[in-house]
Amino acid sequence: MNTVIREDTVTKVEKILQDFIEESGATYALITDMGGNPLFTAGEEDFDVDTLAALSAANYATTKEIANLIKEDNFSLLFHRGNNENVHFAKITQDILMIVLFKPFLSLGLLRLKINSLQQKIVSIIGN
Amino acid sequence: MAIVNLKDKTIQIKIVYYGPGRSGKTTNLEFIHNKLQQNRNQQISNLVSIDTKGDRTLFFDFFPVSLGKINGFDLKLKLYTTPGQVKYEATRRLVLKGVDGLVFVADSLTSRQDANLESFENLKSNLLYHKQSLSDVKLIFQWNKRDIDEKMIPLSPIEEMERLLNSELKVQSFPASATSGMNVLKTVNYISKETVKSVIEKTILNKHKMGN
Ligand SMILES: Nc1nc2c(ncn2[C@@H]2O[C@H](COP(=O)(O)OP(=O)(O)OP(=O)(O)O)[C@@H](O)[C@H]2O)c(=O)[nH]1
Ligand SMILES: [Mg+2]
Repeated sequence: MNTVIREDTVTKVEKILQDFIEESGATYALITDMGGNPLFTAGEEDFDVDTLAALSAANYATTKEIANLIKEDNFSLLFHRGNNENVHFAKITQDILMIVLFKPFLSLGLLRLKINSLQQKIVSIIGN
Repeated sequence: MAIVNLKDKTIQIKIVYYGPGRSGKTTNLEFIHNKLQQNRNQQISNLVSIDTKGDRTLFFDFFPVSLGKINGFDLKLKLYTTPGQVKYEATRRLVLKGVDGLVFVADSLTSRQDANLESFENLKSNLLYHKQSLSDVKLIFQWNKRDIDEKMIPLSPIEEMERLLNSELKVQSFPASATSGMNVLKTVNYISKETVKSVIEKTILNKHKMGN
């Protein structure tokens, strides 16, 4: 079970992420697999990307287990509000997760709309 | 599940340390992390531990390490431990997601042989949860705590541990001491090399699987 990501796939997806960052004003976007490996990134970071991916995948998986436990399908919003930076997690496909960092003055609602349309674009490139 | 990125020329590999509670998984990672910090000019990422007040692992320990180049690809290893305590089944299972290589850290104390076996059976069933089996991953055993004075605390002979856990698989194993560091680096080097080898064989050298 291994995944080989082609060069043009990386280029296309990272272009989409870059455009998203420029349009939305978000700080940073990361797509990781559910095992915690970073796949695609865009934006400025001053932290360890591998660690963010590992912790985010774990965080997402834990939340899903909590949902199962209390017989909830899944929580629709996974989001942490900070003083300086907010984090939003969104499942893109069964196997991948998108993490977006953005400043608290940006609108969460608008950002979520943009993430939704982004999701469809990404799925059309990498498949389900 | 290793990730090979043909644009950035990187290979990412996930190695998980598994085994019963208190067998020495966290101590292994701490030793490796300390050694890398001492020996290298290169910046080493922090060791992240999600644990109970700095002691028992609650979820995992983690750090990434760059291993240099192979076949023109930058190799990045992700090292994880699992929580050994039986009660942390839910989080333990999650750590196995996408694993490529496993180190089973067995406790050499005679009194812990049942716990070793139970943990090994638990590993198999948790791999199954992710639709994987031992044949899909690289595995080695580490017989840990060999430094302990047998006059003080009874230890199981290595042959007995081999018989208990490794008689069918017959994979590589190392006696070790995670506290003194004996064979700790040997263990991680061996599992990395073997895992990388199998990933490269299955991906880069096998053009048929390069679609997607
Ligand atoms: N003598 C000796 N003690 C060891 C060795 N390895 C670990 N220990 C000790 O065993 C105890 C448990 O070690 P940990 O590394 O925390 O064990 P663990 O497998 O991570 O335990 P969990 O997180 O609960 O699954 C600690 O007090 C260690 O110092 C060893 O090789 N020799
Ligand atoms: Mg531990």
